[in-house]
Amino acid sequence: MKKTVRKVFFLWDYEKEERWLNEMSQKGWQLTWASFRKYRFEKGEPGQYEYKLELLEKKTAATESKSYLEFLKEAGIELVGECRNWIYLRSKTADKAFVSSKPCLDELSHLMKVQQFQNSLRNMLMLMVVFSFVLILALEEFTGIPVADFFRGFGTGLGLASSVIALCFVFLMKKQNRKMKEAIKELYTCE
Amino acid sequence: MNKSENIALTEAVFYILLALHQALHGYGIMQETQKLTKGRLNLSAGTLYGALSALMEKSWIKALESEEESRKKEYIITELGKSVFKAELDRLQELVQNGKKVITQ
Repeated sequence: MKKTVRKVFFLWDYEKEERWLNEMSQKGWQLTWASFRKYRFEKGEPGQYEYKLELLEKKTAATESKSYLEFLKEAGIELVGECRNWIYLRSKTADKAFVSSKPCLDELSHLMKVQQFQNSLRNMLMLMVVFSFVLILALEEFTGIPVADFFRGFGTGLGLASSVIALCFVFLMKKQNRKMKEAIKELYTCE
Repeated sequence: MNKSENIALTEAVFYILLALHQALHGYGIMQETQKLTKGRLNLSAGTLYGALSALMEKSWIKALESEEESRKKEYIITELGKSVFKAELDRLQELVQNGKKVITQ
């Protein structure tokens, strides 16, 4: 038995997403494929697999990522899906491949990758804001010409939208920074 | 930039270096560590991969060249790695001795 589920998780809700996939596994629904907001499940044994979401620094096709994925494969970990740099991994629960006695280190390295990812998104947003302002300014002297007016309108819209998103992003990154500080504090007393 | 002189090894690194006194592939290291610690220490694949990359950069371990493409990549400790491991063992010995001295008084 198979089923496809559409479900929206926000980028920063990866922990919730991971928990959901593991809950589905407990109910016997094993994820076999995942992409942007789409999940394919197959009925199997409850709890047979454990799922984990990881963020790669580079896309899966990059050499560094390939060698990591190869390493995971050798450890019996399957790649079931990907969405940009996020990968969906699964391993037989009995293998305990995701169980770590060094959670502090794992947590910190994961948080760092998430932060890197957020930084690149933030840079893209800032670039969009700058681009729209340049567009508006450059078209300033052509007021009245329909094409120029259209692009000025476009620039204003883009500028406003990306500014609003960028502002929301600031809050998101603050939350991330707090998590990071906690993780570093933990490192003083555990590995 | 050599911060790693005279500092303690992490437990994960200690067991990886210990296990790699014989040539092993990634999964083999995980199994060996579990066996040696009777299941207490479980290295996740992510931790292990990160540690192996860092250790290779330090030349404490090296990857063995395999003739066949399909064979799993194996690693082994280097001479430098062995001397680091030996120094760590001495440090741990001191730790245990000092601890015992106080406790048994």
